Amino acid sequence: MLLEARNLHIGYGDASAVWDVSLDVAAGEIVSVIGPNGAGKTTLINAVAGLLRCRRGDLHFDGVDMNRVKSHDYCGHGIALVPEGRRLFVKMTVEENLELGCYLASARAARAASLERVYGLFPILRDKRRQPAGELSGGQQQMVAIGRALMARPRIVLFDEPSLGLAPTVVDDMFDIIAKVRDDGAAVLLVEQNVLKALDVADRAYVLEQGRIVAQGLPGDLLKQPHIREAYLGV
Amino acid sequence: MPSATLLGQALISGVLAGGLYGLLAMGLSLSWGLLRLVNLSHFALAFLAAYIVYELGTDYHIEPWWSAAMVVPAMFAIGTAQHWLFDRFKVNELGSLLMTFSFAIILEVAIQLYWTADFRRYETEYATRSIKAGPFYIPVLELTLCIVAAVLACGTWVWLRRTYVGKALRAAAEDPDIAAAYGVNHKKLAYLLSGIGAAYAGVAGTFIALIATLAPAQIWTYLGVVFAVVIIGRLGNPIGALLAGMLIGASESLAQAVLSPAWSPVVSFSVLIVILLWDPEWL
Amino acid sequence: MVVTASRDLPKLAAVIGIGVFALLPMARLPAFYDSFLYLVFFWISLSTSWTLLSGFAGYFSLGHAAFFGVGMYATAVMSAKFGVPFLFTLPVAAAIPALLAVGIGAIVFRLRRLRGELFALLTLAVTFVIATIILNTPIDGGGGIFMSAVPLPAIMPTPTGSIYALGFVLCVSTLAIAWKVAHSRLGMGLFAIHDDEDVAEAKGVPTFRYKIIAFALSAGIAGAVGGVHAMYVGFLTVSGTFDLTVPLYVVLMSVIGGSRSWFGPAIGAAFITTLLYAFISGGEALVGRALVGLILVVAILWLPDGVVPAVKKWLARWRGVTAKPPQAGVVPIEPVSLPISRPVGDRVLLQVRGASKRFGGLQALAGVDLDVHEGEILGLVGPNGSGKTTLINVISGFYPLSGGTIAVDGVEIGHVPAHEIARRGVARTYQIPRPFVNMTVLENVTLAATFGGPARPGAEIRAEALHWIAFTGLAGKEDVLPAGLNLHERKFLELARALAAKPKLLLLDEVLSGLNPAEVDNAIRLVRAIRAQGATIVFVEHLMRAVVELSDRIAVLNEGRLFALGAPREVMRDPGVVSIYLGKAYAA
Repeated sequence: MLLEARNLHIGYGDASAVWDVSLDVAAGEIVSVIGPNGAGKTTLINAVAGLLRCRRGDLHFDGVDMNRVKSHDYCGHGIALVPEGRRLFVKMTVEENLELGCYLASARAARAASLERVYGLFPILRDKRRQPAGELSGGQQQMVAIGRALMARPRIVLFDEPSLGLAPTVVDDMFDIIAKVRDDGAAVLLVEQNVLKALDVADRAYVLEQGRIVAQGLPGDLLKQPHIREAYLGV
Repeated sequence: MPSATLLGQALISGVLAGGLYGLLAMGLSLSWGLLRLVNLSHFALAFLAAYIVYELGTDYHIEPWWSAAMVVPAMFAIGTAQHWLFDRFKVNELGSLLMTFSFAIILEVAIQLYWTADFRRYETEYATRSIKAGPFYIPVLELTLCIVAAVLACGTWVWLRRTYVGKALRAAAEDPDIAAAYGVNHKKLAYLLSGIGAAYAGVAGTFIALIATLAPAQIWTYLGVVFAVVIIGRLGNPIGALLAGMLIGASESLAQAVLSPAWSPVVSFSVLIVILLWDPEWL
Repeated sequence: MVVTASRDLPKLAAVIGIGVFALLPMARLPAFYDSFLYLVFFWISLSTSWTLLSGFAGYFSLGHAAFFGVGMYATAVMSAKFGVPFLFTLPVAAAIPALLAVGIGAIVFRLRRLRGELFALLTLAVTFVIATIILNTPIDGGGGIFMSAVPLPAIMPTPTGSIYALGFVLCVSTLAIAWKVAHSRLGMGLFAIHDDEDVAEAKGVPTFRYKIIAFALSAGIAGAVGGVHAMYVGFLTVSGTFDLTVPLYVVLMSVIGGSRSWFGPAIGAAFITTLLYAFISGGEALVGRALVGLILVVAILWLPDGVVPAVKKWLARWRGVTAKPPQAGVVPIEPVSLPISRPVGDRVLLQVRGASKRFGGLQALAGVDLDVHEGEILGLVGPNGSGKTTLINVISGFYPLSGGTIAVDGVEIGHVPAHEIARRGVARTYQIPRPFVNMTVLENVTLAATFGGPARPGAEIRAEALHWIAFTGLAGKEDVLPAGLNLHERKFLELARALAAKPKLLLLDEVLSGLNPAEVDNAIRLVRAIRAQGATIVFVEHLMRAVVELSDRIAVLNEGRLFALGAPREVMRDPGVVSIYLGKAYAA
């Protein structure tokens, strides 16, 4: 397994958001975590990205015990985050945002090639590369956020609600990109509200409700079970 | 109404004098804008540097430029040491303001104990030189100051824009968590920036030693106007700081020429108040 | 009667102390003592007056010298240039700075961004501007003003004694005002502003007015102190008057003493002044100054709240009444014996018509129509960004409406300030609890009862507050600070605060988020109990099982519009609603 999480407990201050969650992501795999608002999805993915520390539980990435790794060293191990709400450096230009993605020496060496790859995926960003990222449309900002993650040459990309606040056509594009990221060799852990899209693109999926995993398996099987409906609709 | 020549000369002297405001404002602007630390002791550090340059020059006859080469790295070290305290005790913006105010008082006292409260003047041959350009006189020392300030401002600007470290600092100022997620070790970079800010105080101090008459209480004379300059030039923008400094210097000088010398302090603060009320998001 | 004796002891000591100090000049001590004690009184008055705004409400001003200086010049100009009797100038010396503060406050307090270090620098800038204006106009003219020709009323046998007496009167009055403010509605409101201004406003504190009052009081006292000080110094110059030392020492004294306490600054001022004076008279003024600086550094690092709170804490620990650490377990809520569901009335309590809200280019609410009946629990749900929290925020007045109307009990509230809405019976909770962190549980709830509910005597308000603390299961934690509560308890404190205002309409924003299952059950029982008391509740919640279980009706928002409304199970099975949540294919 590339990513192995065992019995994670995560929270902010004394507020717990995730209880006893275990999940795996294998190399080259797309794994989706779905669940309604407030289920703890963002908390979970932030802990995998090193932004939050786990209270309890084991987090291993490629055999390395990530609980011993400093937050700013997660990226160096090959983990890159596309955060919820994009969280771009809005005062900096598009290209500067992308360059921040290859801040670490290993990725920096491949800067030119990585930039070409990102501009190849998102040609519009090449035209806008001198503009402050804050001036872009929502969809374009999401492209920058994804591009920034790819610049780090990651082995796993963590997507947090990539479809949030985007127009339906743009949402389709985003999920195409996610598939493409995997085809280029990185594993993907995707956290999404949009159930059908998330299950459609995934190899395997987990259903998170109230900080706990209530179901897991192949997307087709999950759709047949009542868990999703109960979690989202309460009936 | 004063003559055009007089006004022109006032403008030139003002811009050149504003160079010092800009130079002093740069270090403050960097630490406030990128680290959210307001460093009142910046002025005291500049004067400490000035006194050391004065001492080395008058007692040991060391050329001010050689003194600067020693003083500036020393100030860098002091800046990082100061940052250790901020870091260790997780001092916030207001806390840093009060704490560095205390540092300033302590430094002022230390200066006064060693050099006394008497006015000190470092007499050098540079002070009297000036270039004549048409009807105007341009003092060489102030011109040098402005050139150095401009080089530093542009250098810092390029450093912040073009290097990875500079970009990382700007990114961390916007969103430290996400910057860390991409490998930026903000804590380490903050030490570097604090050191650089203090080193700029050392550069400013060298020129203060050459241009101004030194007295411990003078530490406070620049405080108000330089803070106005920092805000007008926008936080974290070294070129903005220098241009704002020159703008304020020129306006003060013109106000002196047209109104009366005593009105000049109002200029910078009126500009500041107008800007803050007009656009509270200016910072 | 040992108890009353010990209670009256401080009062007795205060009276004796005031008497002794008041009559001290009669003893004809050497002028040295008079002037030393005058300086102590002077700094006590100045630092205490500064605390009224900056300590209590947390608006840190570096511009105290401006008000103090204007007072000094008001007295000097009137008495020295126009021959107005000295004592008559003092009210004017207080009035002009107070008006100036009202003027500045009227502009600055409207801008949310101008808090913290920006307010500090802006007030500092004001000082420089005023100083320059005085210097360059006939008020001073650059030459300074001599007070030597002004007759000093012979209150005491010696001139220094008379100045001492004036300083003493001001000092005692300032402390009395500070005490009075700290123990009044005004003070309670200011403390709440210090901790969280937005929440204070939502709980019914008229924040803008209170800040102006505090600013005017603070500046007015500083002006009066300046008036007396003009006589003490005898010769005024602009550079000596508008000196940075004034704001900085005032800040220092208050911070060291404890700027949230009405007598903290006095202790800091007495300590620092004595220290400085001791060094000055020993010929080591400089060392004294450096020591003061060092003390401030140490104080910021190790005693950030000041000496008074630290001592209070030690005393409390010494007496053994220190707050116990928060219990980990869940205190179960007693099941209520009242009927679980009360009949929903026909009367419309909340009427929303065409409510819209824009943020720049984002249309968060695009015309919502909604009626909530008296006694009803309405669940408000919808996907992320559908406008649920925005709707709560416009109803409670945190954001002004862009269009449409909102009426509670027939009264339009769409454009009324938040504190007025709170007084008209709307209370809310926050998803992430926002208690006033420096106030105890009881103080938090008391504030809400004081400002939100109808006017009642203090004892009744206290009883009310205690009732709701017990109701939410927080009994025994009345004197605990919010930091000593766990999340579940802080959420219940939010509820207690909202209930203490006796609201007609209760808005709950994600009460259940972040709670574990046992706590969730507990919270659901509590919400039921609240409803049984007769409140009308609108709640936003993501935990759908709970929503379906609790609500009489569910309103589904989508893209800023009301998408569906009706009985819980029907609405959540509606194909349209299912497709919003899970996509069209799933609904089919």
